[in-house]
Amino acid sequence: MDPARPLGPAQIDVLAQLAVATVLLGGIYALVSVGLTLIFGIMRVVNFAHGEFLMLGMYLAFWAFSLWALDPYFVLFVSIPVFFVVGLVTYALVMRGVIHASHNVQIFTTVGLSTVLQNVALVAWSGDFRFVRPWHLSTVLRAGGTIFNLTQVVAFLIAVALTAALVAFMRWTHAGRVMRATAQDRDAATLMGIDTDRVYRLSFAIGIAAVGSAGVLVAPLYSVYPTAGLQFVLLSYVVVVLGGLGDMLGAMLGSLIVAAVEVAGSYLFGAAWKEIFYFLLFILVLVFRPAGLFGQRGAETLGV
Amino acid sequence: MDSLLRSRGGALVVFGLAAVTPLVVRDAYFLDSLVLILLWGALSAAWNVAGGYAGQVSIGHASFFGIGAYAAALMVTRFGRGPWLGMLVGVVISIGAGFVIGFLSNRLKGPYFALSTIAFSQVLLIGVSRWRGFTAGGEGIPVPFRPGFATLGLGHAGWVYMALAAALLCYAVEVYLERSRVGYQLAGVREDEDAAEALGIPTRRLKVFAVTLSAALTSICGSLWAQYIGFVDPTYVFSVDLSVRFALNAIIGGMGTALGPYLGSILITSLETYLRATFSGVKTGFAGIYLIIYGTALILVVRFVPDGLAGIAARLRTRRAHA
Amino acid sequence: MPRLALTIVVAALTLVLGGEPATVRGQALSGEYKIGVLEPLTGPLAFEGKRHLEGLEIVRDLINERGGVMGKRLAFSVADATDPTAAASEANRLITREGVKIITGTFSSRLCGAASEVAARHNVIYWESSCVDPRFNKRGLQHVYRTEIDATGFGWYNVEFIAKHLAPRLNLKPNQLKIAFLSEDSSYGQGVTESARQRAKAEFGMQEVTLEYYNWQTLNDMTPTILKMKQLNPDVVHHIGFGNDAVLFWRQSKEQNFLFKALVHAGATGYGGADFGKALGNDANGVFALLEPGPGFRLESLRPEGQQIERAFRDAVQKRTGSYPFGGHQLAGSGLWLLKLVLDRAQSDAPEKFRAAVMALDLPVGSVINGWGVKFSELGQNANERVQHYMLQWQNGQLVTVWPEEFTTLRAKWIPLGPWDQRK
Repeated sequence: MDPARPLGPAQIDVLAQLAVATVLLGGIYALVSVGLTLIFGIMRVVNFAHGEFLMLGMYLAFWAFSLWALDPYFVLFVSIPVFFVVGLVTYALVMRGVIHASHNVQIFTTVGLSTVLQNVALVAWSGDFRFVRPWHLSTVLRAGGTIFNLTQVVAFLIAVALTAALVAFMRWTHAGRVMRATAQDRDAATLMGIDTDRVYRLSFAIGIAAVGSAGVLVAPLYSVYPTAGLQFVLLSYVVVVLGGLGDMLGAMLGSLIVAAVEVAGSYLFGAAWKEIFYFLLFILVLVFRPAGLFGQRGAETLGV
Repeated sequence: MDSLLRSRGGALVVFGLAAVTPLVVRDAYFLDSLVLILLWGALSAAWNVAGGYAGQVSIGHASFFGIGAYAAALMVTRFGRGPWLGMLVGVVISIGAGFVIGFLSNRLKGPYFALSTIAFSQVLLIGVSRWRGFTAGGEGIPVPFRPGFATLGLGHAGWVYMALAAALLCYAVEVYLERSRVGYQLAGVREDEDAAEALGIPTRRLKVFAVTLSAALTSICGSLWAQYIGFVDPTYVFSVDLSVRFALNAIIGGMGTALGPYLGSILITSLETYLRATFSGVKTGFAGIYLIIYGTALILVVRFVPDGLAGIAARLRTRRAHA
Repeated sequence: MPRLALTIVVAALTLVLGGEPATVRGQALSGEYKIGVLEPLTGPLAFEGKRHLEGLEIVRDLINERGGVMGKRLAFSVADATDPTAAASEANRLITREGVKIITGTFSSRLCGAASEVAARHNVIYWESSCVDPRFNKRGLQHVYRTEIDATGFGWYNVEFIAKHLAPRLNLKPNQLKIAFLSEDSSYGQGVTESARQRAKAEFGMQEVTLEYYNWQTLNDMTPTILKMKQLNPDVVHHIGFGNDAVLFWRQSKEQNFLFKALVHAGATGYGGADFGKALGNDANGVFALLEPGPGFRLESLRPEGQQIERAFRDAVQKRTGSYPFGGHQLAGSGLWLLKLVLDRAQSDAPEKFRAAVMALDLPVGSVINGWGVKFSELGQNANERVQHYMLQWQNGQLVTVWPEEFTTLRAKWIPLGPWDQRK
């Protein structure tokens, strides 16, 4: 593409489509990352198994669809309580014991969890790629010369709604305030009489509910297979760090930035390099603004 | 001498047994497993220099491993020289990379540092995969086997001793860190960096020192691995899985102890090998059961034995002393 | 401390020794001949490894119904090769503990390289059925054989199809064809794509409009790439996909109304896998994939012995899986069948006798499963011309054989691919 060529209608179309692609992709990334920013932000736990919960959500959508012909949008409502419970159980069985241990112990606990979940899926459902093909999968909306995939648009809207809901929850409910307080300073929170164990349990459960239901939403767009989580886990961390820990709005914005870097990078330099760009961005942000582009300065050192 | 025996007795047993084994055992699979135990142990000990002794927990050490592996493989296949020269070049490049990571360690703490090291290793992975003209890209590099010491074409017994040499090297570095002034200062940095800084310890320089030393040792082992396995694939040598493995052995065995990484390697490598051998041949549908067991074991060990195996030993010793 | 270390070392030794007598379990005297099977059964390649193992088991049963090998029942010692280190280690175990003299497998280039090194060092025969690394046979290793063509061969066949069949039907001369190369970034994609590029340019002068690689495991959106390619207006898209990426590209190309005249792929993954059809149904119509024969394949075009075994193979796969053989089955299965032919001839697994039998084998196209022939080069590579490959096309939910035309009753449709909603 010759940059010297003036922007004709064709180029504007391309730009518009790229912009749409960025926004929609950003929506998916936000969906996947919002749960992580909650967990990482409040508990300061690097959950290596984050992608696996997404994968489980995808399988839930698949089995519901193939066994009972349930549309993923219906399953979405069911998946939120289901994964909330999954989060509670996981916390009780796995995370609670290591909450007060060193970071390394937490990291490796989740590494073990990740291995277990991936292989449970492999043994139970085999490594074959599965697909969820609801009737609305190929529906596209057209506005001018630009195309919007309906499933992606819905995912984006839900991401926005979910982020908004979580922001509201964190800001205006008692539980949310308690969670934020614990995130700021665990010891002070305990001194204030806050039951940090309950806070962590709730945060973890909400985070897992978010990522599990994200899996249900993205299942129609991608294949479902045991290592599907790998597609998203590293970039979720990039998003979370960019946006600032525990900052829902930051996660949304971080997702858009990562998506923009990917889309622009792919278009201008080729798809092979897209990850390099956001990893480099990640390292740069870590070096110059570790609290994230939107986080409070110095917040990253708290509780670490 | 007596105190040396008592304090280093464990190491004497482990390395002594390893040295003696090729003389009594001819079974190639056993020797191969021993090579892997020693090599993974050495890599974990190298990781331990930065992670256990300096407190800089990285999950990106595969960066240095991959650099070492590629340096050796490229030196042999592309430049027609020996792997030893490749190893040297790998060390130099890894030290450079180590400076970068060291720099990061001075700016980031805990999980942030860990994440940045992951990003670094992935950047290397992608870069190497794309640089087809030089590194053969995603196709990887098959490393030829030419018998002889200069070309690292050794037999099974030879490889046990080679891996043992690497293990001893890394062990010696760890011991040095435990007994030297530098090591004490590093311990101070690890325990409370601010206090150490207040005492006048050059914390930043020390952290970079630890990371680059760790990088160099990892790179050496990476070069050895490339010659041993004979195939360098970028998606494997720079993978997060490998980085996790190096850290894992050290943590399970006991971070910050010299023998810990080796104990961890013995346990984890043996467990993994045994489980894979026993379960992978079972009905097609059950491949993966051994990994479930492995992952569960990991969770349990990390939860209930956080000091690692060396920690158990220390606790037993104190209990005995009080009895 | 010494006591603890000692305990741990002893425990570890016990584990590695496997809790069984540390004597080599050699060939059982109960009339069984065991070979080693090394495939990725866990990890990201598990879906294909499983299929290869299935194909091997099916053909093993066929072989045993026909008298086994060297008068004994053929049996497997299966090992999981998740990564290069595991591949080498498990190869070691198969050789040392299971006492196999022949190892077969291994699907992926990263695995076969490491495992074959181990086999060579122990003077064990390595019978590869699938990995496509062109350097596999050129490392100077003894007793390493490959029944399938390598990546160069795939690229060769693809370009052959494009130049000799597609171009005329598009009313274009090969050197007028604009071709776009898109590929996943692993050894497989790189190998096939680079060899196709070379042949397309050097031999036919095709105009390459773009070359794009990507990582199939982290690919979430192909819109930017598609938008770029739309502007370059290629006639043919040569896309090597691995899984999800194929579905993503095809679906998003339809959304963006990216029109091109043909898409050509090679191999049993991505476009060539059953999953592609399952994901897209009739929307998959038109895609070409270089593979082993599918429906439409004229058994009559094979020689009599070829017809027999191909028919038996298909029936057996149908019975076990309920469907037509997939690429993974066909590659692994035919590799094993060829092994049987060699062993029948050599009546021994001694490497030198084995090698002599391998070199002596000379069968024309149409003689064995998949309509292959066999003739090995000095380097142990089955010849391109004998390993007949076929171009299949997705037609109404099925991958059917369309080329070379003498081998099939069906014909390629939708050349050029018209508008997206008119491919019925």
